[in-house]
Amino acid sequence: MLITKLKPKEDILSLLPEKVFVLQCHGCKEVSFPEGEAEELIRALLDAGRVTGMLTTDYICNPENLSLRLERRRAMLDEAEGVLALSCGVGVQTVSGAMDGKSVYAGCDTVRLPGFQGVTPLEYDCGQCGECYLSLTGGICPITACSKSLVNGQCGGAKDGRCEVDPDMECGWERILRRLEAVGRLDALKCPTQIRNFAAGADTSR
Amino acid sequence: MKITELFQRGEFVVSAEVGPPKGIHIDGLLEEAKAHLSGITAVNVTDNQSSVMRLGSLATCKALLDAGLTPIYQLTCRDRNRIALQSDILSAAMFGIENILCLTGDHTRLGDHPGAKPVFDLDSVSLLHTVCRLESGVDLGGNPLVGEPPKFAKGAVVSPCSDSVDAQLAKMERKVLAGCEFFQTQAVFEPEKFIAFMERAKQFGKPVQLGVIIPKGAAMCRYMNNNVAGVHVPDEMLNELAADKERAKAGITGVEIAARVIRECRPYCQGVHIMALGWESKVPALLEQAGI
Amino acid sequence: MENYTKYRLKSSEELSQALAGTDRIFVVSCNKCFKEFTVAEEPECGEFTALAETQGKTVTGAVRVDFLCNKAQTLRKLQDAVPAGTESVFVISCGLGIQTVAGMVQHPVFAAADTISRRGQHGMALTPKACDACAQCYLNVTGGICPVVDCSKSLLNGQCGGAKDGKCEVDPAKDCAWEKIQRRLEKLGRLEEFRAQPVQLRDYAKVNSKLISEYVRAVREKRLDGFYGGVHPSEHKELSEHADLVRFPEPDVVVIPLSMHAGKPADPLVKAGDRVRVGQKIGEQAGFISAPVHASVSGTVLAVEPRRHPVLGPGVLSVVIQNDKLGTLDESVQPHGDIEALSPEEIVGIVKDKGIVGMGGASFPAYVKLQPGKPIDAVLLNGCECEPMLTADHKVLLHYAGDVVYGLRAIMKAVGAPRGVIVIEDNKPDAIALLEEKTASYENIEVMAVRVKYPQGAEKMLIKRVLGRSVPSGGLPSDVGAVVSNVSSSKAIADAIRTGMPLIERVVCVTGDRVRTPGNYIVKVGTPFRQILDFCGGAPGDGVTVKMGGPMMGTPQTELDVPVVKAANGIVACETDQTAAAECIKCGRCADVCPMELSPLYFPKYVEAGNLQGLKEQNIMDCMECRCCEYICSSKIPLVTKIREGKAAVRGMK
Repeated sequence: MLITKLKPKEDILSLLPEKVFVLQCHGCKEVSFPEGEAEELIRALLDAGRVTGMLTTDYICNPENLSLRLERRRAMLDEAEGVLALSCGVGVQTVSGAMDGKSVYAGCDTVRLPGFQGVTPLEYDCGQCGECYLSLTGGICPITACSKSLVNGQCGGAKDGRCEVDPDMECGWERILRRLEAVGRLDALKCPTQIRNFAAGADTSR
Repeated sequence: MKITELFQRGEFVVSAEVGPPKGIHIDGLLEEAKAHLSGITAVNVTDNQSSVMRLGSLATCKALLDAGLTPIYQLTCRDRNRIALQSDILSAAMFGIENILCLTGDHTRLGDHPGAKPVFDLDSVSLLHTVCRLESGVDLGGNPLVGEPPKFAKGAVVSPCSDSVDAQLAKMERKVLAGCEFFQTQAVFEPEKFIAFMERAKQFGKPVQLGVIIPKGAAMCRYMNNNVAGVHVPDEMLNELAADKERAKAGITGVEIAARVIRECRPYCQGVHIMALGWESKVPALLEQAGI
Repeated sequence: MENYTKYRLKSSEELSQALAGTDRIFVVSCNKCFKEFTVAEEPECGEFTALAETQGKTVTGAVRVDFLCNKAQTLRKLQDAVPAGTESVFVISCGLGIQTVAGMVQHPVFAAADTISRRGQHGMALTPKACDACAQCYLNVTGGICPVVDCSKSLLNGQCGGAKDGKCEVDPAKDCAWEKIQRRLEKLGRLEEFRAQPVQLRDYAKVNSKLISEYVRAVREKRLDGFYGGVHPSEHKELSEHADLVRFPEPDVVVIPLSMHAGKPADPLVKAGDRVRVGQKIGEQAGFISAPVHASVSGTVLAVEPRRHPVLGPGVLSVVIQNDKLGTLDESVQPHGDIEALSPEEIVGIVKDKGIVGMGGASFPAYVKLQPGKPIDAVLLNGCECEPMLTADHKVLLHYAGDVVYGLRAIMKAVGAPRGVIVIEDNKPDAIALLEEKTASYENIEVMAVRVKYPQGAEKMLIKRVLGRSVPSGGLPSDVGAVVSNVSSSKAIADAIRTGMPLIERVVCVTGDRVRTPGNYIVKVGTPFRQILDFCGGAPGDGVTVKMGGPMMGTPQTELDVPVVKAANGIVACETDQTAAAECIKCGRCADVCPMELSPLYFPKYVEAGNLQGLKEQNIMDCMECRCCEYICSSKIPLVTKIREGKAAVRGMK
């Protein structure tokens, strides 16, 4: 799940050309979109007379629908020197691809939430490592539940069962140990030394 | 000299620890080490400890070696991928460094470059495995090394007073399986916990060096209690340190406490590892009081 | 369309190893996502089961599940699915699904698949573009091409020396990202700007795990708040919520359909040329599920003829009345005394006689609801108005708070309920405060403020939220001891008792981005939409969609010569969204938001294939057409239209 945070207002304003078309994507708003802050930014641009047109829509990562929707606003687009896209990185890239010779500006930074697109975010995540360790760890992912993605056990940094990086986070390996004990699989700890293969699945990665 | 040879001879092995400076001048470090640590077996050199960028561990080890001391090369997985790690291991062997301590390393987020990319390509267990591979003349990629392979005394760490002892023991076992030959522990202030831990750890049959910090005062201990994983200074010791500030400041109380811990734990371990944290000058006194 | 399936089966050697220590296994497999949706079975489950069997293992069972990572639904599907005697569970899924199952079952769980490793996340249309969510978007520096995903080394400051013939050193099939960036910047005339950029350094501390975990907690809470699923469309209530409630000018002519309720149309009681008065019954109730119809103005009947209806379309028998604008009241409009003096039967009789129907949209005759024939322990008054934009019920609450409470008391008496709850979404704090004040003296009535979520106002959702009870499939609120009424209906019931006025006018919210002066009006039933929109400066025409009701569940209008009916809580005019439906990519969002916990994605597929059995198995008849699925659909599939087709087909099957 990708969520967006608005970049600092000053950064965006300093970046933009004089006349802009503003495109907002609410497609993933059900999870998060900085609606209020975006509105404030747009208000500032409107007050400065810099907006030639606007479109608030969803799923701008769909190039076909994006162009259908923009067609009606062709004149406003033509008038603009650049397009400000308030969306995740996929959206900005799609808009960039659809613009012929017009610069597209990203107004947001994108952050990933646990759980893949379309899915209500989960408290656990999959690191798409390509060599699933869950059989060895009682079904708790060491890649994402451990800050260091350790695959051979706990580091020395856990304190009161909490992670050294983020005390709000439980130590993944303590959870793994508890789970293994609960399901009677402590023998999994006797597996050979695990070494990650960062090229796993390289044939399918793009 | 490999410290494993001493363990094999049944010697009680004493090591201490130095941290390289943030800069290129190590004359001070070398003088301190020569003055206070030449009587002990070996000296650990930390690797960008606490994720704070410093002079390299490898270069400092070489300097100590040249100065006539026996360095233990600490190597963490935080900053280097498996290529850099193996390359540095070979470099260490070329310099004649014979002791290596394999660690995972603190997370980058905790140090003075929090925005750095945390690498953790390998971890302490797989790093030990990697050293063994190199010793067998083959690198991690399966390629043969040219000429005679390196040979190290391979150590790792363990945290006996951790609040998750089970997880620590599980990890310790994995380290042994991966080729670890000796252990140094996180600082111990609670001998009873250490003894209980050793009761369970002795099954692995690997020598363990008791980790010791000379407490500099009650404030330092409270800080460690709040912030350092696996370290807990009991209230009685805190009171002891707080009772006479001057005495504590002079290091007299701290040395007493540390010596006491060593004496209590000595029957259960095969050596001590002293993390002097700048009080290298107090190491000889500590050893004397501890009866070593 | 790219195939973004997240997993693939582990190698048979690896699987054999995992199988070695266990004999009786259960298999859970995920039906994949983010690929073109087909209803055909995925092969992995069969392949794995066959492998296990050749190794002499007993497979105690296997289930195939959609969206295994949907915790709430998977929990339901896996309940009691694992037979006794099973030693371990093998899961064929991406890491999310495996972890979901591992968190639910008591058995050791084994991963039978690896999650395919990929840099970056795709979008909701399956194009090759991806975003790595680095939290520090560089697209402004690179002309909109992502250096983090597209460059194998994620270089931020320019090309490395490895590019050969414009291709990447890691993968010669891949264009060098920095070549693409160079060309793009050149085309955009931004090379100078790029040269002036400071050195870019990635900040890996930007991804803040605390922020993320808090987000996740908040989103999950919101999602499962009160009831499963639902959506939060932009409310835009500000368009009309500050406009005063005013009386709409008397129309010259009203068109009153004889069908403004669920069930049989009323039988006309008047003919062309008849004089009628305000509140006079002009259509007689024609069956048990039916309602009478009354004149909303005084004047002369011009015709009783088929006219276009905003919901039912053309050909609905209607009474057309020329308004004499005298407002002459019919003698039948007489107060009925106080609730205390009325028996439950008398209250039901008044509600029936005065033509009161559910005014929230469904138009179900209210008197039927008031005779549930089962013990009722709570009456829920629905003041949620969860539809975006609409502010009609809000205005009713503010202007007729006393009447609303009065109506609720009448309903409670009629059904013998000991408790009444007025449920209002927390975006209407003024109404909440006012109703709290008005109900302070009634011990058995409470006001409940609930967090905004669509479709909270749907009966079943409201009951789930307030009482924590689930209305069974095909059941009614009374099956779980509840009666639900809309606040406007409650106000109409109060009028009917206190003044004897039948349901002849209602509050209509006129709003939308294509209405110049949105507002809230008391409108006579039968007033033409066109007149109202003209009055409000609406600009219908090309590219505008007018709906009766809210933007979510409202009925689109092709013509504006349709009258306001009893259920017309809103007239909304918005810019038409220009999209084309694409193939379903199985993103799972519809299943994620469906408050009835259905899997809407199957409906269009089964309707197209004429698979009525499949439609029934997927419980199509439970769909209440709230349109959450269609709203969230990234492929813009007209799900509700398809669902209606499907329902009609299933009904015809019986």
